Amino acid sequence: MSQPVVVCKGVTKTYQKEAVPVHALRGVDFVVHPGEFVSLSGPSGSGKSTLLNIIGGLDRPDSGSVVVDEVDYGGLSESALAELRLHKLGFVFQAYNLIPVLSALENVEFIMQLQGVPAAERQGRAEDVLTKLGLGEMIHRRPGEMSGGQQQRVAVARAIASDPVLLLADEPSANLDSRTTEELLELLKRLNQDNGMTIITATHDPMVMSYATRQVKLRDGAIEHDDAALPA
Amino acid sequence: MKLLLQLSIRNLLRHKRRNGMLLLAIAVAVAGVNASNTLLRGYQLDLLDTAVSNLTGHVKVHAPGYRDDPTIMNSFVIEDSFTPDVPSDVLLGWAPRVRIPGVIMSERETRGVQLVGIEPGAEGISFLRDAVIDGEFLTAADDNRVVLGKELLRQLESDIGRRLVIITQGADGLNRERGYRIAGSYDVQGTGLEKLFVFVGLEHLQALLETDAVTEVSVRLTTENYREPAKLSMAASLSDLEVMDWQELEPQAAEMFLFADGVIYVWFLLMMGALTFGLVNSLAAAVMERVKELGMMRALGMQKRTVVVQVVVESCVMMALGVLAGTLLGALIYAAISDGIDLTAWSDGIELFGVASLLVPVMLPSDLLTVAFSSMLLGIAASLYPAWRVVQVQPLDALRS
Repeated sequence: MSQPVVVCKGVTKTYQKEAVPVHALRGVDFVVHPGEFVSLSGPSGSGKSTLLNIIGGLDRPDSGSVVVDEVDYGGLSESALAELRLHKLGFVFQAYNLIPVLSALENVEFIMQLQGVPAAERQGRAEDVLTKLGLGEMIHRRPGEMSGGQQQRVAVARAIASDPVLLLADEPSANLDSRTTEELLELLKRLNQDNGMTIITATHDPMVMSYATRQVKLRDGAIEHDDAALPA
Repeated sequence: MKLLLQLSIRNLLRHKRRNGMLLLAIAVAVAGVNASNTLLRGYQLDLLDTAVSNLTGHVKVHAPGYRDDPTIMNSFVIEDSFTPDVPSDVLLGWAPRVRIPGVIMSERETRGVQLVGIEPGAEGISFLRDAVIDGEFLTAADDNRVVLGKELLRQLESDIGRRLVIITQGADGLNRERGYRIAGSYDVQGTGLEKLFVFVGLEHLQALLETDAVTEVSVRLTTENYREPAKLSMAASLSDLEVMDWQELEPQAAEMFLFADGVIYVWFLLMMGALTFGLVNSLAAAVMERVKELGMMRALGMQKRTVVVQVVVESCVMMALGVLAGTLLGALIYAAISDGIDLTAWSDGIELFGVASLLVPVMLPSDLLTVAFSSMLLGIAASLYPAWRVVQVQPLDALRS
């Protein structure tokens, strides 16, 4: 079997909320293999977003270890974590988070520009991805000139254009209507099935969960249910 | 860098009104600094010209002891073959003189003066070059007439063509007394010089004093920049004489000259310093309202230092545009006043500061570059605090904001 993309062992995280400790994660063990489409779900405060952020290198665990694509986060500097996010991970945020002063094409090119991909190559790749996602006619529009669904598709295009090892999506459907959500999920499904892209989403949305191939439910900072733990 | 430049320009265009006002403020401040610099440089160069032209030159040679006792006893003889030890391309001219105290008497009045024996042809290096002459000027070194200031002529209640008596001390320590016909009078800006100097032919004065010596050799250069090297080389070749430059001989003018230099920098700091607070404020507001966006960029993998550079580039773009507009505006102001500002109405007061009644501005490329370069440095400095503040926010906190 191929090397896992994500290996979390004994991950704990405690926040201080008005001097009261909140245990967001209590020793989570979690492994994701290449090609999986994992849905992290659970009620608010269950720790799903915290786990996603820790896997994404945006937050650090208090204890335990996180290894993504064979890189152990332990001891990595802030700069090294940023480098890792740039080259190995793709992010889709709840609020799209596109850069408003850049066009759709430039937004998709943004990460590749940071990576130092030559102009002609990144433009070709960005146009290609946008066209595949049905945005070929809108590449020169800025986010403010697009609908929420279109913006979220641009965000997905930005996340996948540089071919990341792992795509992380935090509540990707939160701001979308059901039809647009379905379109987005079909897109993620295609990426997962056709391209073998590993995807982890954190969501409340049953529709998102239904598209995932593996359900992981968290409650009170621990994994309550994991499809992978079920007997085959 | 192309990406950062693109982001910076577009971010600046995001708030056209706010950034337009800031741009205007920078341009006005830079134009104001540049325009005031042209006036200060004009004043400074006028001061320099006055100090150097005031029979001082850039460098001057005296016999030791002359400055304490300015008489013909403290004089020196120059060879016929003498020329100052200065490269010919920087030597504008030189003039030997006998300059001693004397008393001048008309039929009605008596005054103490500086009696100056000159070679008229060599005095193109002094204020006499620009003086307005009434009557005639001296024609040769053996001219036995006198030329005196218009104001002195008025005080002596005499006139051109009339005779005067001059008493001074000869090389032997005995007084010499002689009558002179007034060839003409000179009129220069300010009455100080007109009351002080009475000119007579050098050879004639030497004959009267029974000496071949001179009391000074004044050397004028084509550029102030060569003053120090010229002084040093002349001091080396005339080791038994005192060689001094105008800054030593006219310390008050030298202080005013340095003061004007200081004023240029103080004025720049006041104008641009005040503006920098505005720039810091505006940039801080601009970046803090984009904290989520910048946090997202960092979440996607942009390094902290790249965010800092982006804010700095944004500030630099703004400052560069402001400096460009300000320099053009400053040049327009300069063009409008390039003929000079007439200060005649305040001529009595400004004479104390050594300012001519027509203040002609001078625009130096080096001043424009200094203002532009310093402004860019201030632009960078102004952006560091907002940049530092924004990168203190963790990407996750920024995304949640």
